[in-house]
Amino acid sequence: MSGAPTATAKPVVIEAESITKRFGGVVAVNDVSVAVRAGEIYALVGENGAGKSTLMRILAGVLSPDEGTVKMDGRPIEGGTRAALDAGIALVHQELSLVPEMTVAENIMLGAFPTKGGVITPQKLRELAGEALREIGVTIDLNEPVSRLSVSLRQFIEIARAVARKPRVLILDEPTATLTPAETDYLLQMLKRLADGGLAIVYISHRLPEIFATCDRVTVLRDGRLIDTMDISGTTPDALVDKMVGRELKRDLEIVRESQPGEVVLSARGVTAPKVEEIDLDVRAGEIVGLGGLVGAGRSEFVRAMLGVDVRTGGEVTVKVDGRLRRVGSYQSAVRQGIAFVPEERRQDGLALTMSVSDNIALPNRRALATAGVINPTKQAAFAKELADTVGLRPPNVKRDAGNYSGGNQQKIVIAKWLGRRPRVIVLDEPTRGVDVGAKAEIHRLVRELADQGTAVLVISSDLPELLDLSDTIHVIRDGRVAGTLARDEADERSVMSLAAGESMVANS
Amino acid sequence: MTRLAESPGTAVSTAPAQTEPDQASTAARILLWTAERGIVVFTLLLVLASVVFIDGFASPVNITDVFHRAAPIGIVAVGMTFVVISGNYLDLSVVAQVATGAVILIGVSNSHGIPLAILTAVVVACLYGLVNGIAVGYFKANAVIVTLATTYVGLGLLRWLSGGSIYFGPKNGVIANVGDIKLGPVPISAIVLIVMAIILGFVLSRTTFGFLVRAFGANNESTRLSGVNTPHVVLGAFLITALAAMVAGFVLAAFSNTAVSTMSDGYDFRALAAIILGGTSVFGGRGSVLRTVLGVVFVSVLTNVLVLSNIGYGWQQVAIGTLIVLAVSVDALARRMSKK
Repeated sequence: MSGAPTATAKPVVIEAESITKRFGGVVAVNDVSVAVRAGEIYALVGENGAGKSTLMRILAGVLSPDEGTVKMDGRPIEGGTRAALDAGIALVHQELSLVPEMTVAENIMLGAFPTKGGVITPQKLRELAGEALREIGVTIDLNEPVSRLSVSLRQFIEIARAVARKPRVLILDEPTATLTPAETDYLLQMLKRLADGGLAIVYISHRLPEIFATCDRVTVLRDGRLIDTMDISGTTPDALVDKMVGRELKRDLEIVRESQPGEVVLSARGVTAPKVEEIDLDVRAGEIVGLGGLVGAGRSEFVRAMLGVDVRTGGEVTVKVDGRLRRVGSYQSAVRQGIAFVPEERRQDGLALTMSVSDNIALPNRRALATAGVINPTKQAAFAKELADTVGLRPPNVKRDAGNYSGGNQQKIVIAKWLGRRPRVIVLDEPTRGVDVGAKAEIHRLVRELADQGTAVLVISSDLPELLDLSDTIHVIRDGRVAGTLARDEADERSVMSLAAGESMVANS
Repeated sequence: MTRLAESPGTAVSTAPAQTEPDQASTAARILLWTAERGIVVFTLLLVLASVVFIDGFASPVNITDVFHRAAPIGIVAVGMTFVVISGNYLDLSVVAQVATGAVILIGVSNSHGIPLAILTAVVVACLYGLVNGIAVGYFKANAVIVTLATTYVGLGLLRWLSGGSIYFGPKNGVIANVGDIKLGPVPISAIVLIVMAIILGFVLSRTTFGFLVRAFGANNESTRLSGVNTPHVVLGAFLITALAAMVAGFVLAAFSNTAVSTMSDGYDFRALAAIILGGTSVFGGRGSVLRTVLGVVFVSVLTNVLVLSNIGYGWQQVAIGTLIVLAVSVDALARRMSKK
């Protein structure tokens, strides 16, 4: 690509020329050109809806462009995924696409089973799968069914599957979204190794530190247009964020909330469940408590057991309602006592995507909107509109299906659902995962406002800056127990990580 | 996804200045429209074409006949719409419920009077609703298998209790007389269907319960996590279906003043056909009672036209079955394509 400031002499492997792609009336990608060289890690950044995923899917042949061409070694590729795979382009999806019932080896080789006369050769299959795992430096039993593995390990298997095709271009969409910081480091090191071996890597992530630690060049997309392509060494995270949002964005880090926590509202004693061992926790009115820890440490499991979403095998949970302690048994009783829960998987568990924003918001508020069991549509519309405005939904059209909104907006809808109940306690599990920078700041603002109004807030986050930024107190969970508690002034990335990882990991680092 | 979209060159000059946020492609939107609203156009066209081209279709006698055949299936379908929208596929046991309702109306009235017959029917409907609803709602058992099994149990009990005999109501009795009431060409059975559709349409679209049925069908986990007692919702859907099926049984029995355990054979599929052709999605969440009524009109008129054109029962089955395969395929395809 002309004009790209770089001195690398390596040849361009994959090239997209003047790509334009429309969905209905929306121009998702508008005249974008990129070129990726052998041995480089090339970052694609932008807010949600900027066109990153669309562009990437065009590169991988999943979508065909309306205009422009994708070239490999200067030759155009046409014919969808198959042709792209044959040309050596492998895509690691954001959504995990493994078959849980199949073994690790079978998943890695899925779609490329080695056969002899139409019969699968298991020996060869394991051999090839093992080779791919060695390539990425991960050791897992090849015969283990994938259903028994953690989400993080599944992500690595997903990558092994792409690597097993011996690609020349590897495309990864938010591969670290479900990984802990330690796992993320591991993955980034692995990508660097693969790039050193000559692989061209296209890397999509919202996490700027990763990009600055790993990538060679970065392209910023905004509203489907290419804003700039730069050498990483020639830019800064702040400059990048400015280009992504197209406006000056205040850094959250400097915000200090005037927190004056009141009495304990949510109290858990000895909560026990699968993967959770006797956790105690208090959250005060107006306080934001953060739960840190590695993915798989049992944070979500604890919160879900505490609220009765999943089965709790032991322990006592109470909420203070108007000065009186109420026991939380079932999840329904938790909601009745004024607890709100924003789940981790918003598309699966948080929203009905095929229903309107208005209906989604009405769901937990149905009693307030109905007289004698009949819902008042005028009341519902006004109610939903007000909440949509409060959370800053864009566009603020409550009649649209929730599924038509971007990730950040969807999360705002989930929060809006609960705001209408004026919750005493709100529990948010990974509230900004996969959410763009702008929406993330707005969600943080909402969470702080809730606390300022006296709501007891509990946040699970694997995003360390977010956790440090939001929380008044941080409990770090390790192996289903509280490994340590840090006040706001004693918490930093290092103290949280050393508690989360345990002694052995700290000794290594 | 993209292969069905408009060809690349055409959109250049028409690129809209204002961004239209829906991401679905044109083809997906056409499919979705067909799946959801096509029934209005198809039904209108079918009725118009029948009036113009089919001899005897528009005669009062024929219209009464169409209404008579449509009413009991329609009442079953209107009730079963709740189970389908709740995302639990269908209630096959309506076959047993309708037959039981019919036998109760004639059999129990003959020996113990009409009020007790009505009471018995309500109790039996609640039993069906409870068994199906608890198994599916609370135990999360598969609805198709559960209701297939309760059909088996229900018809077995009915055959044992009735001895497989045909029940006749007294000539010129209350049931026979009520069954003969007509407003012009519109028989009372059709009026019952209309009243049921209005009531249940209101329940589904306006009440909190109906809202929860739709929400549960759209996403059961997000509904549960909003603090809803979701097993209750499923139980309610099965109860409404069972009560409607009893009413359908009464209508069916009153029309002929007879009842027998086999008289509702095939009602499960014909009700489902009306629901699906009406555009209610088998995936749950989307649909309405009005659509089901349109589906009933469509299926009934189509069947009537085939009869009037001397096309045998076998070919009627082929036609309806083929339409269902097409309808569910279009629904599934539209749903997949409109997903981002």
